[in-house]
Amino acid sequence: MEENIIELKNVEKYFGTLHVLNNINLSVKRGEVVVIIGPSGSGKSTLCRTVNRLETIDSGEIFIDGELMPEEGQELARIRSEVGMVFQSFNLFAHMTILDNVTLAPRTVRKIPKAQAEKEAMELLKRVGIESQAGKVPAQLSGGQQQRAAIARALAMHPKAMLFDEPTSALDPEMINEVLDAMAELARDGMTMMIVTHEMNFARRVADRVIFMDQGQIIEESTPDKFFDAPGTKRARDFLSSIRTQ
Amino acid sequence: MNKAGSRTYVRDALFEKPGPKALKKIRLVTALSLAALILLIFLVIRQFYITGQLDARYWSFFLRFTTWRFLFIGLLGTVEAASLGGVLALITGFLLMLARISKYRILNILSAALIEFTRGVPTLLFIYFFFLVVPQMGIKMSALWKVVFPVSISACGIVAEVLRSGVNAVPKGQREAAISLGMSEAATFLRIILPQAVRFVVPALISELVIVVKDTTFAYVVSFPDLMQNAKVLISNYDALLSVYLVVAVIYIIINYLLNQLSLYLAGRMDVSTVNVAEV
Repeated sequence: MEENIIELKNVEKYFGTLHVLNNINLSVKRGEVVVIIGPSGSGKSTLCRTVNRLETIDSGEIFIDGELMPEEGQELARIRSEVGMVFQSFNLFAHMTILDNVTLAPRTVRKIPKAQAEKEAMELLKRVGIESQAGKVPAQLSGGQQQRAAIARALAMHPKAMLFDEPTSALDPEMINEVLDAMAELARDGMTMMIVTHEMNFARRVADRVIFMDQGQIIEESTPDKFFDAPGTKRARDFLSSIRTQ
Repeated sequence: MNKAGSRTYVRDALFEKPGPKALKKIRLVTALSLAALILLIFLVIRQFYITGQLDARYWSFFLRFTTWRFLFIGLLGTVEAASLGGVLALITGFLLMLARISKYRILNILSAALIEFTRGVPTLLFIYFFFLVVPQMGIKMSALWKVVFPVSISACGIVAEVLRSGVNAVPKGQREAAISLGMSEAATFLRIILPQAVRFVVPALISELVIVVKDTTFAYVVSFPDLMQNAKVLISNYDALLSVYLVVAVIYIIINYLLNQLSLYLAGRMDVSTVNVAEV
Protein backbone atom coordinates (compact mmCIF):
# COMPACT_ATOMS: atom_id res chain seq x y z
CA MET A 1 0.00 0.00 0.00
CA GLU A 2 1.40 3.35 -1.03
CA GLU A 3 1.42 6.04 1.59
CA ASN A 4 0.75 8.79 -0.93
CA ILE A 5 -2.55 8.44 -2.76
CA ILE A 6 -1.99 11.54 -4.87
CA GLU A 7 1.48 12.67 -5.80
CA LEU A 8 2.53 15.40 -8.22
CA LYS A 9 6.19 15.75 -9.17
CA ASN A 10 7.62 18.80 -10.93
CA VAL A 11 4.35 19.53 -12.73
CA GLU A 12 4.49 22.39 -15.22
CA LYS A 13 1.69 23.81 -17.32
CA TYR A 14 1.39 26.80 -19.60
CA PHE A 15 -1.65 28.44 -21.18
CA GLY A 16 0.24 30.06 -24.04
CA THR A 17 2.79 32.25 -22.29
CA LEU A 18 0.94 32.16 -18.97
CA HIS A 19 2.69 29.86 -16.49
CA VAL A 20 -0.38 28.40 -14.76
CA LEU A 21 1.40 25.64 -12.86
CA ASN A 22 4.96 26.39 -11.87
CA ASN A 23 6.99 23.43 -10.61
CA ILE A 24 4.25 21.90 -8.49
CA ASN A 25 5.33 19.23 -6.02
CA LEU A 26 2.54 17.97 -3.85
CA SER A 27 1.37 14.82 -2.21
CA VAL A 28 -1.78 13.78 -0.39
CA LYS A 29 -1.49 10.89 2.02
CA ARG A 30 -4.06 8.19 2.56
CA GLY A 31 -6.94 9.58 4.58
CA GLU A 32 -5.57 13.10 4.45
CA VAL A 33 -7.70 16.15 3.64
CA VAL A 34 -5.78 18.83 1.78
CA VAL A 35 -7.44 22.16 1.08
CA ILE A 36 -6.07 24.42 -1.62
CA ILE A 37 -6.80 28.10 -1.36
CA GLY A 38 -5.61 31.16 -3.19
CA PRO A 39 -6.78 34.17 -5.15
CA SER A 40 -8.69 33.66 -8.40
CA GLY A 41 -6.37 32.92 -11.28
CA SER A 42 -3.80 31.38 -8.94
CA GLY A 43 -4.05 28.01 -10.72
CA LYS A 44 -5.74 26.12 -7.89
CA SER A 45 -8.63 24.86 -10.05
CA THR A 46 -6.26 23.93 -12.83
CA LEU A 47 -4.15 22.01 -10.32
CA CYS A 48 -7.19 20.09 -9.12
CA ARG A 49 -8.19 19.25 -12.70
CA THR A 50 -4.72 18.06 -13.66
CA VAL A 51 -4.81 15.36 -10.99
CA ASN A 52 -7.13 13.21 -13.11
CA ARG A 53 -5.88 14.69 -16.34
CA LEU A 54 -8.91 16.76 -17.27
CA GLU A 55 -6.15 19.28 -17.92
CA THR A 56 -3.03 18.08 -19.68
CA ILE A 57 0.36 19.02 -18.31
CA ASP A 58 3.45 20.12 -20.20
CA SER A 59 5.91 18.25 -18.03
CA GLY A 60 6.13 16.44 -14.74
CA GLU A 61 4.52 13.31 -13.37
CA ILE A 62 1.31 12.50 -11.55
CA PHE A 63 0.92 9.33 -9.49
CA ILE A 64 -2.31 7.91 -8.13
CA ASP A 65 -1.71 5.33 -5.40
CA GLY A 66 1.80 4.79 -6.78
CA GLU A 67 0.70 4.39 -10.39
CA LEU A 68 1.91 6.88 -12.98
CA MET A 69 -1.00 8.55 -14.84
CA PRO A 70 -0.56 7.67 -18.53
CA GLU A 71 -1.36 10.24 -21.19
CA GLU A 72 -4.21 8.33 -22.80
CA GLY A 73 -5.97 5.03 -23.26
CA GLN A 74 -7.71 2.44 -21.13
CA GLU A 75 -5.18 2.69 -18.32
CA LEU A 76 -5.89 6.41 -17.98
CA ALA A 77 -9.63 5.70 -17.87
CA ARG A 78 -9.12 3.01 -15.23
CA ILE A 79 -7.07 5.29 -12.98
CA ARG A 80 -9.57 8.12 -13.49
CA SER A 81 -12.33 5.78 -12.34
CA GLU A 82 -10.49 5.46 -9.03
CA VAL A 83 -10.46 9.21 -8.41
CA GLY A 84 -13.83 10.83 -7.77
CA MET A 85 -14.37 14.36 -9.02
CA VAL A 86 -16.95 16.94 -7.94
CA PHE A 87 -17.31 20.06 -10.07
CA GLN A 88 -18.34 23.62 -9.40
CA SER A 89 -21.29 23.32 -11.80
CA PHE A 90 -22.32 19.80 -10.63
CA ASN A 91 -22.32 18.41 -14.20
CA LEU A 92 -24.99 15.83 -13.48
CA PHE A 93 -26.08 14.06 -16.64
CA ALA A 94 -29.04 16.23 -17.56
CA HIS A 95 -31.00 13.56 -19.45
CA MET A 96 -30.93 10.93 -16.71
CA THR A 97 -32.60 10.49 -13.36
CA ILE A 98 -30.51 10.94 -10.22
CA LEU A 99 -30.47 7.17 -9.71
CA ASP A 100 -29.24 6.59 -13.27
CA ASN A 101 -26.61 9.29 -12.79
CA VAL A 102 -25.23 7.34 -9.85
CA THR A 103 -25.47 3.86 -11.37
CA LEU A 104 -24.24 4.64 -14.91
CA ALA A 105 -20.50 4.42 -14.26
CA PRO A 106 -20.61 1.38 -11.95
CA ARG A 107 -22.71 -0.43 -14.56
CA THR A 108 -20.81 0.56 -17.71
CA VAL A 109 -17.26 0.82 -16.36
CA ARG A 110 -17.27 -1.80 -13.62
CA LYS A 111 -19.99 -4.06 -15.12
CA ILE A 112 -21.85 -4.26 -11.83
CA PRO A 113 -25.35 -5.80 -12.23
CA LYS A 114 -28.20 -3.33 -12.29
CA ALA A 115 -29.90 -4.48 -9.10
CA GLN A 116 -26.70 -4.33 -7.08
CA ALA A 117 -25.68 -0.95 -8.53
CA GLU A 118 -29.10 0.48 -7.69
CA LYS A 119 -29.01 -0.87 -4.17
CA GLU A 120 -25.61 0.71 -3.55
CA ALA A 121 -26.73 3.93 -5.22
CA MET A 122 -29.74 4.21 -2.94
CA GLU A 123 -27.50 3.73 0.09
CA LEU A 124 -25.21 6.51 -1.15
CA LEU A 125 -28.14 8.83 -1.86
CA LYS A 126 -29.40 8.13 1.62
CA ARG A 127 -25.99 8.95 3.02
CA VAL A 128 -26.09 12.40 1.40
CA GLY A 129 -29.73 12.79 2.37
CA ILE A 130 -31.48 12.83 -1.02
CA GLU A 131 -32.81 9.28 -1.41
CA SER A 132 -36.30 10.71 -1.96
CA GLN A 133 -35.04 12.49 -5.12
CA ALA A 134 -33.74 9.32 -6.83
CA GLY A 135 -36.40 9.27 -9.55
CA LYS A 136 -36.13 12.93 -10.54
CA VAL A 137 -33.98 14.51 -13.23
CA PRO A 138 -31.27 17.00 -12.19
CA ALA A 139 -33.20 20.10 -13.29
CA GLN A 140 -35.90 19.28 -10.72
CA LEU A 141 -33.43 19.48 -7.81
CA SER A 142 -32.04 22.45 -5.93
CA GLY A 143 -28.37 23.28 -6.40
CA GLY A 144 -27.45 21.82 -3.03
CA GLN A 145 -29.29 18.60 -3.80
CA GLN A 146 -27.64 18.38 -7.21
CA GLN A 147 -24.20 18.78 -5.71
CA ARG A 148 -24.92 16.09 -3.12
CA ALA A 149 -26.10 13.82 -5.92
CA ALA A 150 -22.83 14.54 -7.73
CA ILE A 151 -20.91 13.51 -4.61
CA ALA A 152 -22.93 10.27 -4.45
CA ARG A 153 -22.22 9.66 -8.13
CA ALA A 154 -18.47 9.98 -7.53
CA LEU A 155 -18.60 7.78 -4.42
CA ALA A 156 -20.38 5.03 -6.35
CA MET A 157 -17.06 4.12 -7.97
CA HIS A 158 -15.47 3.55 -4.53
CA PRO A 159 -12.71 6.04 -5.32
CA LYS A 160 -9.35 6.04 -3.56
CA ALA A 161 -9.50 9.82 -3.41
CA MET A 162 -11.97 12.61 -4.08
CA LEU A 163 -11.25 15.89 -5.84
CA PHE A 164 -13.51 18.87 -5.17
CA ASP A 165 -13.17 21.80 -7.55
CA GLU A 166 -14.90 24.72 -5.82
CA PRO A 167 -17.94 22.58 -4.99
CA THR A 168 -19.94 25.36 -3.33
CA SER A 169 -19.05 28.35 -5.51
CA ALA A 170 -22.16 28.02 -7.68
CA LEU A 171 -24.56 27.52 -4.79
CA ASP A 172 -26.98 29.91 -3.18
CA PRO A 173 -25.76 30.78 0.34
CA GLU A 174 -28.42 28.77 2.15
CA MET A 175 -27.39 25.59 0.32
CA ILE A 176 -23.68 25.77 0.96
CA ASN A 177 -23.78 24.13 4.37
CA GLU A 178 -25.66 21.01 3.31
CA VAL A 179 -22.88 20.29 0.80
CA LEU A 180 -20.07 21.16 3.22
CA ASP A 181 -21.66 18.89 5.83
CA ALA A 182 -21.69 15.99 3.39
CA MET A 183 -18.02 16.66 2.65
CA ALA A 184 -17.09 16.93 6.33
CA GLU A 185 -18.76 13.60 6.99
CA LEU A 186 -16.79 12.08 4.15
CA ALA A 187 -13.58 13.45 5.68
CA ARG A 188 -14.50 11.98 9.07
CA ASP A 189 -14.99 8.59 7.43
CA GLY A 190 -11.35 8.73 6.32
CA MET A 191 -11.71 9.63 2.64
CA THR A 192 -8.59 11.06 1.00
CA MET A 193 -9.61 14.47 -0.30
CA MET A 194 -8.22 17.39 -2.24
CA ILE A 195 -10.49 20.40 -2.01
CA VAL A 196 -10.31 23.72 -3.80
CA THR A 197 -12.54 26.12 -1.92
CA HIS A 198 -13.18 29.67 -0.76
CA GLU A 199 -14.90 28.50 2.42
CA MET A 200 -12.25 29.43 4.96
CA ASN A 201 -14.13 28.29 8.07
CA PHE A 202 -14.74 24.93 6.46
CA ALA A 203 -11.07 24.71 5.46
CA ARG A 204 -9.97 25.38 9.00
CA ARG A 205 -12.40 22.86 10.44
CA VAL A 206 -11.84 19.98 8.03
CA ALA A 207 -8.35 20.29 6.55
CA ASP A 208 -5.34 18.38 7.77
CA ARG A 209 -3.16 20.60 5.65
CA VAL A 210 -3.68 23.88 3.82
CA ILE A 211 -1.91 24.76 0.60
CA PHE A 212 -1.80 28.37 -0.48
CA MET A 213 -1.25 29.05 -4.17
CA ASP A 214 -0.57 32.23 -6.08
CA GLN A 215 0.45 32.80 -9.70
CA GLY A 216 0.80 29.09 -10.40
CA GLN A 217 3.07 28.37 -7.48
CA ILE A 218 2.63 26.75 -4.10
CA ILE A 219 3.56 29.61 -1.80
CA GLU A 220 2.84 28.09 1.54
CA GLU A 221 1.95 24.73 3.00
CA SER A 222 1.03 24.27 6.67
CA THR A 223 -1.56 23.16 9.20
CA PRO A 224 -4.82 25.10 9.12
CA ASP A 225 -4.35 26.64 12.55
CA LYS A 226 -0.90 27.86 11.75
CA PHE A 227 -1.91 29.10 8.29
CA PHE A 228 -4.94 31.06 9.40
CA ASP A 229 -3.44 32.39 12.66
CA ALA A 230 0.12 33.07 11.59
CA PRO A 231 0.67 32.78 7.85
CA GLY A 232 4.34 32.55 7.04
CA THR A 233 4.40 34.55 3.82
CA LYS A 234 3.42 38.10 2.94
CA ARG A 235 1.27 36.98 0.02
CA ALA A 236 -0.76 34.67 2.25
CA ARG A 237 -1.15 37.43 4.84
CA ASP A 238 -2.33 39.85 2.14
CA PHE A 239 -4.79 37.30 0.79
CA LEU A 240 -6.25 36.47 4.19
CA SER A 241 -6.56 40.10 5.24
CA SER A 242 -8.26 40.96 1.93
CA ILE A 243 -10.87 38.29 2.63
CA ARG A 244 -11.37 39.31 6.25
CA THR A 245 -11.90 42.99 5.52
CA GLN A 246 -14.80 42.15 3.24
CA MET B 1 -39.36 25.32 -24.86
CA ASN B 2 -42.45 25.83 -22.84
CA LYS B 3 -45.34 23.60 -23.71
CA ALA B 4 -48.29 25.92 -23.32
CA GLY B 5 -48.45 28.67 -25.92
CA SER B 6 -44.93 28.92 -27.31
CA ARG B 7 -46.04 31.83 -29.49
CA THR B 8 -46.78 34.21 -26.65
CA TYR B 9 -43.61 32.94 -25.01
CA VAL B 10 -41.43 34.19 -27.86
CA ARG B 11 -43.23 37.52 -27.92
CA ASP B 12 -42.85 37.94 -24.18
CA ALA B 13 -39.16 37.24 -24.45
CA LEU B 14 -38.67 39.84 -27.17
CA PHE B 15 -40.98 42.64 -26.16
CA GLU B 16 -42.26 44.37 -23.09
CA LYS B 17 -45.78 43.53 -21.98
CA PRO B 18 -48.03 45.89 -24.01
CA GLY B 19 -49.64 48.78 -22.12
CA PRO B 20 -53.13 50.21 -22.78
CA LYS B 21 -52.04 52.34 -25.78
CA ALA B 22 -50.11 49.49 -27.34
CA LEU B 23 -53.07 47.15 -26.80
CA LYS B 24 -55.32 49.59 -28.67
CA LYS B 25 -52.81 49.72 -31.50
CA ILE B 26 -52.54 45.93 -31.63
CA ARG B 27 -56.35 45.62 -31.87
CA LEU B 28 -56.49 48.19 -34.68
CA VAL B 29 -53.73 46.49 -36.68
CA THR B 30 -55.39 43.10 -36.16
CA ALA B 31 -58.75 44.39 -37.39
CA LEU B 32 -57.19 46.09 -40.44
CA SER B 33 -55.17 43.03 -41.45
CA LEU B 34 -58.19 40.75 -41.03
CA ALA B 35 -60.20 43.05 -43.29
CA ALA B 36 -57.38 43.08 -45.86
CA LEU B 37 -57.14 39.30 -45.75
CA ILE B 38 -60.89 38.85 -46.27
CA LEU B 39 -60.78 41.30 -49.18
CA LEU B 40 -57.85 39.42 -50.74
CA ILE B 41 -59.61 36.06 -50.47
CA PHE B 42 -62.72 37.60 -51.98
CA LEU B 43 -60.74 39.04 -54.89
CA VAL B 44 -59.01 35.71 -55.58
CA ILE B 45 -62.29 33.80 -55.59
CA ARG B 46 -63.89 36.46 -57.78
CA GLN B 47 -61.00 36.17 -60.24
CA PHE B 48 -61.42 32.38 -60.30
CA TYR B 49 -65.13 32.85 -60.90
CA ILE B 50 -64.61 35.32 -63.74
CA THR B 51 -62.04 33.09 -65.47
CA GLY B 52 -64.29 30.07 -65.00
CA GLN B 53 -62.00 28.15 -62.69
CA LEU B 54 -64.91 27.39 -60.38
CA ASP B 55 -66.85 25.59 -63.17
CA ALA B 56 -68.16 22.20 -62.14
CA ARG B 57 -66.02 20.38 -64.75
CA TYR B 58 -62.85 21.41 -62.93
CA TRP B 59 -64.08 20.09 -59.60
CA SER B 60 -66.64 17.35 -60.23
CA PHE B 61 -64.04 14.56 -60.65
CA PHE B 62 -63.07 15.07 -57.02
CA LEU B 63 -66.42 13.44 -56.20
CA ARG B 64 -65.14 10.22 -57.71
CA PHE B 65 -63.54 7.58 -55.55
CA THR B 66 -60.95 6.74 -58.21
CA THR B 67 -59.55 10.26 -58.15
CA TRP B 68 -58.85 10.05 -54.43
CA ARG B 69 -57.53 6.52 -54.73
CA PHE B 70 -55.11 7.70 -57.40
CA LEU B 71 -53.99 10.62 -55.25
CA PHE B 72 -53.66 8.29 -52.26
CA ILE B 73 -51.40 5.95 -54.24
CA GLY B 74 -49.31 9.01 -55.08
CA LEU B 75 -49.28 10.00 -51.43
CA LEU B 76 -47.99 6.52 -50.54
CA GLY B 77 -45.20 7.02 -53.09
CA THR B 78 -44.33 10.37 -51.50
CA VAL B 79 -44.31 8.84 -48.02
CA GLU B 80 -42.17 5.93 -49.25
CA ALA B 81 -39.60 8.16 -50.97
CA ALA B 82 -39.53 10.72 -48.17
CA SER B 83 -39.16 8.21 -45.36
CA LEU B 84 -36.45 6.24 -47.17
CA GLY B 85 -34.73 9.50 -48.07
CA GLY B 86 -35.06 10.79 -44.52
CA VAL B 87 -33.63 7.64 -42.95
CA LEU B 88 -30.77 7.53 -45.46
CA ALA B 89 -30.01 11.22 -44.88
CA LEU B 90 -30.01 10.65 -41.12
CA ILE B 91 -27.55 7.73 -41.40
CA THR B 92 -25.19 9.44 -43.84
CA GLY B 93 -25.53 12.76 -42.01
CA PHE B 94 -24.62 11.04 -38.75
CA LEU B 95 -21.54 9.45 -40.32
CA LEU B 96 -20.52 12.78 -41.89
CA MET B 97 -20.91 14.45 -38.48
CA LEU B 98 -18.74 11.78 -36.83
CA ALA B 99 -16.05 12.36 -39.46
CA ARG B 100 -16.41 16.12 -39.06
CA ILE B 101 -15.71 16.01 -35.30
CA SER B 102 -13.23 13.12 -35.31
CA LYS B 103 -9.65 13.64 -34.19
CA TYR B 104 -8.30 12.75 -37.63
CA ARG B 105 -7.72 15.93 -39.58
CA ILE B 106 -8.02 14.25 -42.96
CA LEU B 107 -11.54 13.04 -42.07
CA ASN B 108 -12.46 16.55 -40.88
CA ILE B 109 -11.40 18.05 -44.20
CA LEU B 110 -13.06 15.36 -46.33
CA SER B 111 -16.36 15.57 -44.52
CA ALA B 112 -16.31 19.38 -44.44
CA ALA B 113 -15.85 19.31 -48.22
CA LEU B 114 -18.65 16.76 -48.68
CA ILE B 115 -20.98 18.76 -46.43
CA GLU B 116 -20.32 21.96 -48.38
CA PHE B 117 -20.81 20.12 -51.67
CA THR B 118 -24.10 18.48 -50.73
CA ARG B 119 -25.42 21.67 -49.19
CA GLY B 120 -24.39 23.84 -52.11
CA VAL B 121 -25.73 21.82 -55.03
CA PRO B 122 -29.48 22.07 -55.79
CA THR B 123 -31.48 18.87 -55.39
CA LEU B 124 -32.62 18.99 -58.99
CA LEU B 125 -29.02 18.67 -60.15
CA PHE B 126 -28.59 15.48 -58.11
CA ILE B 127 -31.86 14.20 -59.62
CA TYR B 128 -30.56 14.84 -63.13
CA PHE B 129 -27.32 13.10 -62.19
CA PHE B 130 -29.16 9.95 -61.14
CA PHE B 131 -31.61 10.27 -64.03
CA LEU B 132 -29.12 10.93 -66.85
CA VAL B 133 -25.55 10.14 -65.80
CA VAL B 134 -25.91 7.07 -63.60
CA PRO B 135 -27.73 4.98 -66.27
CA GLN B 136 -24.98 5.90 -68.74
CA MET B 137 -22.46 4.38 -66.36
CA GLY B 138 -24.40 1.13 -66.76
CA ILE B 139 -25.95 1.21 -63.28
CA LYS B 140 -29.63 0.33 -63.24
CA MET B 141 -31.93 1.38 -60.46
CA SER B 142 -35.66 1.79 -60.06
CA ALA B 143 -37.34 5.19 -60.25
CA LEU B 144 -37.84 5.11 -56.49
CA TRP B 145 -34.09 5.10 -55.79
CA LYS B 146 -33.54 7.76 -58.42
CA VAL B 147 -35.58 9.97 -56.11
CA VAL B 148 -34.38 8.63 -52.76
CA PHE B 149 -30.65 8.93 -53.42
CA PRO B 150 -30.59 12.52 -54.70
CA VAL B 151 -33.01 13.74 -52.05
CA SER B 152 -31.01 12.15 -49.22
CA ILE B 153 -27.67 13.33 -50.62
CA SER B 154 -29.08 16.81 -50.77
CA ALA B 155 -30.17 16.61 -47.12
CA CYS B 156 -27.28 14.71 -45.51
CA GLY B 157 -24.91 17.68 -45.29
CA ILE B 158 -27.48 19.76 -43.46
CA VAL B 159 -28.34 16.84 -41.17
CA ALA B 160 -24.62 16.51 -40.36
CA GLU B 161 -24.33 20.19 -39.48
CA VAL B 162 -27.54 20.13 -37.44
CA LEU B 163 -26.31 17.12 -35.46
CA ARG B 164 -22.92 18.79 -34.98
CA SER B 165 -24.54 21.92 -33.62
CA GLY B 166 -26.39 19.70 -31.16
CA VAL B 167 -23.17 18.00 -30.07
CA ASN B 168 -21.54 21.41 -29.59
CA ALA B 169 -24.50 22.59 -27.53
CA VAL B 170 -23.98 19.90 -24.89
CA PRO B 171 -22.11 21.61 -22.02
CA LYS B 172 -18.43 20.68 -21.76
CA GLY B 173 -18.91 19.62 -18.15
CA GLN B 174 -21.05 16.66 -19.22
CA ARG B 175 -18.10 15.10 -21.01
CA GLU B 176 -15.71 15.94 -18.18
CA ALA B 177 -18.01 14.34 -15.62
CA ALA B 178 -18.27 11.17 -17.70
CA ILE B 179 -14.57 10.71 -18.39
CA SER B 180 -13.67 11.55 -14.80
CA LEU B 181 -15.85 8.56 -13.82
CA GLY B 182 -13.61 6.41 -16.01
CA MET B 183 -15.98 6.12 -18.97
CA SER B 184 -14.30 5.70 -22.35
CA GLU B 185 -14.56 8.43 -24.98
CA ALA B 186 -16.86 6.19 -27.04
CA ALA B 187 -19.17 5.40 -24.13
CA THR B 188 -19.20 9.07 -23.15
CA PHE B 189 -20.24 10.05 -26.65
CA LEU B 190 -22.93 7.38 -27.00
CA ARG B 191 -24.42 7.54 -23.50
CA ILE B 192 -23.98 11.20 -22.54
CA ILE B 193 -23.31 13.52 -25.47
CA LEU B 194 -25.39 12.05 -28.30
CA PRO B 195 -28.68 11.54 -26.42
CA GLN B 196 -28.61 15.16 -25.26
CA ALA B 197 -27.48 16.47 -28.66
CA VAL B 198 -30.36 14.68 -30.41
CA ARG B 199 -32.85 16.15 -27.93
CA PHE B 200 -31.57 19.62 -28.74
CA VAL B 201 -31.90 19.21 -32.50
CA VAL B 202 -35.09 17.17 -32.97
CA PRO B 203 -37.06 20.25 -34.15
CA ALA B 204 -34.31 21.18 -36.64
CA LEU B 205 -34.11 17.58 -37.91
CA ILE B 206 -37.87 17.49 -38.49
CA SER B 207 -37.68 20.79 -40.36
CA GLU B 208 -35.14 19.08 -42.59
CA LEU B 209 -37.54 16.15 -43.05
CA VAL B 210 -40.13 18.68 -44.25
CA ILE B 211 -37.62 19.81 -46.87
CA VAL B 212 -37.06 16.17 -47.84
CA VAL B 213 -40.81 15.74 -48.31
CA LYS B 214 -40.92 18.80 -50.54
CA ASP B 215 -37.84 17.68 -52.48
CA THR B 216 -39.54 14.40 -53.39
CA THR B 217 -41.77 16.43 -55.73
CA PHE B 218 -38.83 16.27 -58.15
CA ALA B 219 -39.99 12.67 -58.64
CA TYR B 220 -41.81 13.78 -61.79
CA VAL B 221 -38.40 14.13 -63.50
CA VAL B 222 -37.78 10.38 -63.19
CA SER B 223 -41.49 9.49 -63.55
CA PHE B 224 -41.74 8.04 -60.05
CA PRO B 225 -45.45 7.97 -59.11
CA ASP B 226 -45.49 10.26 -56.10
CA LEU B 227 -48.26 12.67 -55.17
CA MET B 228 -46.98 15.36 -57.52
CA GLN B 229 -46.52 13.00 -60.47
CA ASN B 230 -50.02 11.56 -60.03
CA ALA B 231 -51.38 15.07 -59.73
CA LYS B 232 -49.83 15.87 -63.09
CA VAL B 233 -51.58 12.83 -64.57
CA LEU B 234 -54.91 14.05 -63.20
CA ILE B 235 -54.24 17.50 -64.62
CA SER B 236 -53.69 16.20 -68.13
CA ASN B 237 -56.65 13.79 -67.87
CA TYR B 238 -59.16 16.39 -66.78
CA ASP B 239 -57.45 19.49 -68.09
CA ALA B 240 -57.86 20.93 -64.59
CA LEU B 241 -54.69 22.69 -63.53
CA LEU B 242 -55.74 24.96 -60.72
CA SER B 243 -58.12 22.71 -58.80
CA VAL B 244 -55.68 19.78 -58.71
CA TYR B 245 -52.75 21.92 -57.65
CA LEU B 246 -54.86 23.51 -54.92
CA VAL B 247 -55.91 20.13 -53.53
CA VAL B 248 -52.36 18.75 -53.72
CA ALA B 249 -50.94 21.84 -52.05
CA VAL B 250 -53.40 21.37 -49.20
CA ILE B 251 -52.31 17.74 -48.83
CA TYR B 252 -48.64 18.76 -48.65
CA ILE B 253 -49.48 21.44 -46.11
CA ILE B 254 -51.30 18.87 -43.99
CA ILE B 255 -48.35 16.42 -44.11
CA ASN B 256 -45.84 19.08 -43.14
CA TYR B 257 -48.14 20.55 -40.53
CA LEU B 258 -48.41 17.13 -38.92
CA LEU B 259 -44.61 16.77 -39.02
CA ASN B 260 -44.21 20.12 -37.30
CA GLN B 261 -46.76 19.15 -34.67
CA LEU B 262 -44.78 15.95 -34.12
CA SER B 263 -41.65 18.05 -33.68
CA LEU B 264 -43.33 20.26 -31.09
CA TYR B 265 -44.64 17.19 -29.28
CA LEU B 266 -41.23 15.51 -29.21
CA ALA B 267 -39.46 18.71 -28.17
CA GLY B 268 -41.89 19.12 -25.28
CA ARG B 269 -41.58 15.50 -24.20
CA MET B 270 -37.81 15.35 -24.34
CA ASP B 271 -37.18 18.78 -22.88
CA VAL B 272 -34.14 18.24 -20.67
CA SER B 273 -33.71 21.92 -19.78
CA THR B 274 -30.10 21.77 -18.75
CA VAL B 275 -30.77 24.26 -15.99
CA ASN B 276 -28.64 22.09 -13.77
CA VAL B 277 -25.66 24.02 -15.06
CA ALA B 278 -25.25 26.43 -12.18
CA GLU B 279 -27.10 29.69 -12.68
CA VAL B 280 -24.15 32.04 -12.69
